[in-house]
Parts: sequence; C-alpha cells; structure tokens
Amino acid sequence: MSNIDRRTLVKGSLAAMMAGAAMSRGAFAQSSEPILIGVSGPLTGPNAQYGTQWKQGFDLALDEILGAGGINGRRLAYSFEDSQSDPRQSVAIAQKFVSDPRIVMELGDFSSTASMAASPIYQRGGLVQFGFTNSHPDFTKGGDFMWSTSVSQADEQPLLAQYAVRRLGLKKLAVLHLNTDWGRTSRDYFVKAAKEYGAEVAVTEGYIAEERDFRSTLVRVRDANPDGLILISYYSDGALIARQARQVGLKQTICAASSVYSPKFIELGGDAVEDVHLGTRYFPEDPRPEVQKFIAGFKKKYNGQEPDAFNAYAYDAMNMAAAMVKIGGTDRRAIRDAFTKVKDVSSVIFGKATFDVESRRVKGAMNAELVVRKGQFALWDGKPT
Amino acid sequence: MSSWLDYTINGLIVGNVYALVAVGLALIFGVSRLINFAQGSIYLVGAYIGWVAVVQLHTPLPLTIIVVALAAALVGLIIERFGLRPLQNSVRIAPLLATIGISFVLDQLVMLTFSPNPRALPSQLPDVRFQIGGGTIGPLDLLIAGVGLTSALLLFAFLRYSKLGWAVRATAQDRDAAMQMGVDVNRVNQAVFGIAAALGGVSGLLVGMYYNQIDTAMSLQATLKGVVAEVVGGAGNVPGAVIGSLLLGLVESYGVAVFGTSYRNLFAFLLLVVVLVLRPNGLFASARQAPPEPLTGTFIAPSRPVRIPRWALLVVLGVFAILPLLPVSLYVLQTLINAWLLGMLALSLTLVAGTIGQVSLGHAALLAIGAYTSALLSLNFSVPVGLAIIGGGLTSAALGTALISPSFRLRGHYVSIATLAIGEIVSLVILNWEGVTRGPIGVSGIPPLSLFGYELISPTSIYWFSFAVMVVLALLQARLLGSHLGRSFRAIRDDDVAARAYGLSLNRYKSLAFIFGGFAAGISGGIAAHLYSYINHETFNTQQSILALTVVILGGLGNVVGAVVGSVALVGLPEVFRIAAEYRILIYGIVLLLLVRFRPQGLLGTI
Repeated sequence: MSNIDRRTLVKGSLAAMMAGAAMSRGAFAQSSEPILIGVSGPLTGPNAQYGTQWKQGFDLALDEILGAGGINGRRLAYSFEDSQSDPRQSVAIAQKFVSDPRIVMELGDFSSTASMAASPIYQRGGLVQFGFTNSHPDFTKGGDFMWSTSVSQADEQPLLAQYAVRRLGLKKLAVLHLNTDWGRTSRDYFVKAAKEYGAEVAVTEGYIAEERDFRSTLVRVRDANPDGLILISYYSDGALIARQARQVGLKQTICAASSVYSPKFIELGGDAVEDVHLGTRYFPEDPRPEVQKFIAGFKKKYNGQEPDAFNAYAYDAMNMAAAMVKIGGTDRRAIRDAFTKVKDVSSVIFGKATFDVESRRVKGAMNAELVVRKGQFALWDGKPT
Repeated sequence: MSSWLDYTINGLIVGNVYALVAVGLALIFGVSRLINFAQGSIYLVGAYIGWVAVVQLHTPLPLTIIVVALAAALVGLIIERFGLRPLQNSVRIAPLLATIGISFVLDQLVMLTFSPNPRALPSQLPDVRFQIGGGTIGPLDLLIAGVGLTSALLLFAFLRYSKLGWAVRATAQDRDAAMQMGVDVNRVNQAVFGIAAALGGVSGLLVGMYYNQIDTAMSLQATLKGVVAEVVGGAGNVPGAVIGSLLLGLVESYGVAVFGTSYRNLFAFLLLVVVLVLRPNGLFASARQAPPEPLTGTFIAPSRPVRIPRWALLVVLGVFAILPLLPVSLYVLQTLINAWLLGMLALSLTLVAGTIGQVSLGHAALLAIGAYTSALLSLNFSVPVGLAIIGGGLTSAALGTALISPSFRLRGHYVSIATLAIGEIVSLVILNWEGVTRGPIGVSGIPPLSLFGYELISPTSIYWFSFAVMVVLALLQARLLGSHLGRSFRAIRDDDVAARAYGLSLNRYKSLAFIFGGFAAGISGGIAAHLYSYINHETFNTQQSILALTVVILGGLGNVVGAVVGSVALVGLPEVFRIAAEYRILIYGIVLLLLVRFRPQGLLGTI
C-alpha cells in the first residue's frame, strides 16, 4: 500500500467484508504511524479529473520516498478529502485538518474559490496551506501559512509572449482565455508582455469553463484578422478551440499556455492540434535527471501513460512537502519555518525550487518551447510552421 | 456583411445541438408535466455507452446509434419504473426532486466507472467539410440536424396520428379521464420515457462525436440549455422545442457577435426571461391549448405536518446552543456553521416556495447579492461588518424582489425556470461587471466577522453568531406564518383564483414574501462572505440553488423547523459519508431518492 487514503481503506474493508475473509485492519498499520499530510481537492463534481491526476502524482512521489527509506524512518502518507472545489466543503475540511493533530500540513485546494475561502481557518489554526495550483495573485497574501509553488503568471506569460512574438514572429494576436481568475490574470500579463515585445493584440475573448462551442467566437477572431491565436486554456477547452478553429478554416499559428500540456490535448484535439506551439515546464526528451526519473517512474506505475502538467505539479508538491517534513519534523510551526529555510529542492517544474520568502512563491520556472509534430510533443526546431 | 451570415449559420449549428436534448425534455414535459432534470444524465450515459461501442467494440455508426438508443431507452424505462412511477400519486413536486436525485446517481455512476478524465469520442463519419459563407460544415452537422428534425417530425406524427400517440396526448390533458377511458397510463409513460431517453442517449453520442470530447461534467450544461430551449419553444411542444433551440442558438451567436464571448449565456437566459414574461406558455403554444399547469394548488399538496411539542424544540435548541461548551470537535462546529448558513437560505426559500408557492431555482443569486454587497461595503466604504451584513440583506431583499417580479405572473414549473434563469443572469452579471464586482478575479481580503468592534474569529464565536441569527430569523418567520399575512400567503399558494376573488393582491403579497426571504438569504450570503474572506462568481452557483430547494422539499414545504432539519441533514450527510470518499455523492443521491420515495411530503410535512 502506498498510502492510507480513505478510499483504499474503504475498498480494502469492503473487499474484506464481501470475501468474508478475516482480514484484520492491523494489516494496514505499520510498525509506526505514518506522517500524515492533509489534501483538500475535488474527487467528485466538475473538477474531479484534476483530483484524480493529483492522486497519480502524489502516489508516485510517495512510492519513491518510501523506496528511499521514508522520512527519518517513518512513512509519509496523505489523507485526501473530497471538496468538490466547493468553498462550503473546503472550510469544513480545513477545520477537520486543523483539529486533527496527526496532520502536519495541508495541500490544495484546486480552485481559488475553494482554497482562499479556507485560508483564514488554516492561518488561524497555524497549519500550512500549500496551494500548489493556486495562481491567484492574492492567495499567498492570506497569511504566512499560505505557500504556493504554482507557477506565477507574471513569470510564465512573458515567456509565452516571447515564444509567440520574438521566436515565432507573430505580430497581430488574438487571445482566447478562460474567464476565471487564472485566465484573466494570465491574459493581462500576456497582453502586457506581448505589447512590450512589439506585437499588437487585436482581440481578447474570455469564455466560461463550461463552454464547448467556439464557432461564433472564432468569427470574431477571424474578423480581427490576426496572424496568431493565443490560447490561455486547459487541455480540454484548448483542444475544442483548436479543432473548431481548423474546422471553420482558420489557418493561423496557434500558441498555447503550458496548461494544455497533456497527452489528452492531443487525444482530444486530433489532427487539429498538429503544429500547435506551447511553452512548457518540462517535456519527454528533457535531459534533466529529475524529469527523466519522473517520466520513467510514472509510465512504469501507470501502464505506459504519459504524465501531464497536473501530474507533475502534484508530484513536485508531494516531494516539496517531504522536504519540509525532513527539516521541520512533525511540528506545524517548524514546517512553516522550513519553507523559509529549504533550498534547491529537486523539481520537475523548477529544476531546483527555492521559495521567495517575501511572496511565499517560487520563481524561475523552467521553460521549453514545444510544438505538436505528428501527434507528439516535440522540442521546437525553430522551423516556421 | 458576410460575418452576419456566419454568425447566423453558427447559431443554427449550435441550436441544432441543443434541439436534440430539448425534444426529449419537451416530450416528457408534454406527458408528465415534469421537467426531467435527469435528461442530461441520460445524455451523458449515452455518450459513454457510445464511447464503449466505438472505441472498445469498433461498431459501425448505424449499429452504434442503435446500441446507444436501446441502452439509453432501458435506462429511461428503469428511471420511470423505479424512480417516478411510485411517486405518481404524491405531491407534484416530488418527481422533480426525484429526477434531481436520479441525475446525481447516474452522473456519479458514470464518473466512477469511467473516471472523470475527458475522453475522445472519434466521429465515424468521413471528414469532409462543405464551405458555407466564411465557415464550413461537416457531415455530423447534417446528421445532427437530420436526427433532430426527423425525430421531431416523427414524434409529431406519432402524437397526432397513432393510437398510442392519442393515448399520450389524452394522458397529458387529463390523466384521470384517460384512465377512465381505458388508457393504460403507465404504458404510455413507459413509452414516452423510453423514446425520450433513447433520443437523449443518441444526442449525447452525436454531440460527443461532434466535439470529439466527452466528460462527466457535460450533463448539467446539457440540461440547462435544453430546458431553456424547450421552454422558449413552449413547454411540451415538440416542434416548438426545435424552433426554440434554433432561436436560442441564434441569440447566443448574435450576442457573441455584438458584445463578446463572455456575454454569451447572459443572452441565452435573458431570452428565456423575456419569452416567459411576454408569452408565459412559450412562443408556440396555441391559444386553444389547455393551460399547462393546474389553476389551483395541486403543485404543492397539503399534508399533515408533524407536530413537534414545544418542550422538545426547546430542548433541541438548548442542546445546540450549548454545543460549543461540550467536548465536540471544531470540525463538527464548522459543519454546523455551514448548516446554519444553509438554514437561513432554506428559511428564505421555504417561505417563497412553500408558503406562497413560488418554487425558485435561482435562490443562490440572493446569497450572491448579499455577499457582494456586504463584502464591497466593508472593503470600499469601510462600513462596519455588522452593518454591512444588514446592508447585504436589505440589498438582496430589494434587488432580489425587483429581479424576480417579472415572474410573478407565472405559475408552477415556469416560476422555477424563470428563477433559474434569473439566478444565472445574476452570476453572469457579477462575472462581467468588472468595475464593481472585480469580475473573474473575485473579491479577496474581505474582513472577518465582527460585532461592535469585537472580531468573531474563533469557530465557537462564529457558531454562536450564525446560530443566533438563524434562530432569530426562524422565530420571525414562524411568527409571520401564524399571522394573518401568513394565512394570506397560503391562500395564494392553495388557490390563487379564490385568493384574488377574496381581494388579495397577488403581486403585493408575492413581493412581501420575496422581501422577507431575500433579507434572510442576503444575511446568509453576507456572513458567508466575511467567513470565507474571498468570493467570486462561482461561490454561489446553481448547485447551491438546487441544494437549497432539496433542503426545503426534504424538510417539508413552508415548514420552518423542517428547513433547519433539512439543512442539518443535507450538510451533515455528505460529511458523514466522507469515509466513502468518491462514493459519497452516489450514496447521498441514493439516500435522497429513498427519502423522496418514502416521505414525498418532506420529513416534517408541508405547513
């Protein structure tokens, strides 16, 4: 067993009951109690897919940590509570974790709606809330117990703008973005950077997460007559937009934010995402050892499945949590202080991650310029498409 | 301009997609006067069965369609037989709640079986594109149009010319009379659910292929758009549903053209409200048609409320009041704080829906108005938090009543749909009115609760505060129900014609109910805003409205104690089921269905 999250326990006990076997719960207990990390995230509801991706990343990291002998001889484990990304449930979970002395720190939640509603409880309860996907600029302003490794959009978007404008030579851009706090913040940073690099932003269109039909939006884009489309999207909506853009005959270069980096993007987008450019934090042929270890380990554990951006965030987050526990032990305040002390934690996203104590975030994400070629993500060779 | 041609074509294409769901909804509404909230779930099931057939079994397209239609029809029959038929003699609103419960269960089953990751559903048609205007259409567009139109025409002919069709229409007009004439009403319902479900399943398959993407979140959106299209066309009118869908697609497309993408759904829901206000029976309801809802109050059937002795209430009240002094975990207190906040919303809704009979499906909008007002008052104008929350309540009362007033002339289901739309409109206005609401970024750094200069930040003090506010609101409402005003409210609910004849002004009393209800809901939203410190347009969403309605129906319509009991139950149950991890929402749905099945009048009964 890699961890003792509740699903495993329930499944285990259900199986035990059904088989009528006298399977004792003692089988789950190890010689010493594991060090427990609370996770608040969506396992059901509209964002459930991201919760399941987190689990894959966490489980892989925990396997490796256990393989390396655990932390000071103790096992690291997590307790995943389903919040449905609903603020009402994330506050209850927050209070649950804060009241549970076994929990040493918390990871999540997924959306800023749910995370930031719970922040006051974590802050007052003195439990670190490590929101590793929370890019909302105000998330870490919730207090000195809020830390994040989410790539700051102030960092990422200028890189994307540089790729689109400087490297691909696009001069007149149409920006399509998810109309959420993330999409909106990203758009603003992107537009600012693109203008600095000398491009014109002809049109920006915000769409809601549930949107599936983009044909009319694409007519607006076409009428603005851009030479490139910028997608600030997740992989599922990004694939939809790319498909519909090609279907209505838009042939412009498409350049997307790193959040589309997922094998699903290619599966869902098919031929339409061929030649889509994207900036990412890592890629399959990346020679960095931590990336190779991550990808090889992931494929081995999950039957050859390619990891995506959210898997990588979760994997990094669990490794980061382990690094904190190594320094801070099981004392909650000491773990908070560990965030200020930790240096150069090996990370898929950052290479070496060190927190900026002022902003409580990590700067300097890695950057790779990829393009989809023959249904695969490949490093861009500099040839125009 | 050629762009307008493109916008028109795009509107028709997406309207085409909506039509598939709308036709199924219209058929069911036509016969059972029921908005089937599970239709989107059948659509989801159809999409995933299609995925299994196409990707795993490699069936050719005609076979895929047949397989999906049969499997979905089977699901429909099961829903009809075990979910709805047992409820046919109970309160009119019980089946509505049952379909909500069924949709929870189906969505969760699909999610557990297939994982929530989106999947590609490749189209099995050749990838040819035909140039039309500035864009192109493909064979799937034509197939979807073909299926939508053909099914609408076939259904129209079936209803008009076949014997079973006559039976269906007779049942729709007067169920009891049809039964007396020897119509096997159950068989009719079965036929209708089977056909509608088959259609829903096939539409899921085709739409999945159209976007090459299926995921478990697609069901609610499909239901929402389908309901809008259906009602615009005239609820229960099958060809009307097709035209309503095309109109909806066009309005959305033109909305995008003129104002931009983020306004798209705003136009969809505005269209709905406008149509309902101008033509309450939909655009294509004929003048001869019998009124779609009964004139008098069979929508909410009276029942004998459970009488709780006063001493028992006082004891329970006392226990909850001293709970923080007992050794209970803060997690339990936090969960109960959520229950008290939901309780205030439920009090508001039980007054509006239960006592005066305006079943609102957009009640979260009142929370949002209260929350934003209170948050912005305290942040931008440094109003003390206590006053800001009251300001939130007052604004919610005023603005909520003003927004909802156009729907005062509607009855039964139409009120629900209009309020659903108004709820969505409020959420979209919050998203788009960036100057005031800060748009998608949301409002952060909202100051914590405080009263007379004392900050309430410990869970215990927040518990006492929210509990006290809820109890005060509940007492006020109980007092109101016992007064002359309360009796007038119930008179309007039970028979609005008689009430009017008696000299009661319907609009004035409905306004009064919404003012009182809006205040309670606004207070709840205001407290939540200061509790969370961060709110955005998604904090108070449609799910919250549906949850509130579930609480109210579960507790017993109009029942003050019932609303509170229901809130504790529906906040508590998902927490209790946490041990079951991913299965908890499934269990929750099943428990909900069982409660509706065995206590359709609610736990404590309608007052």
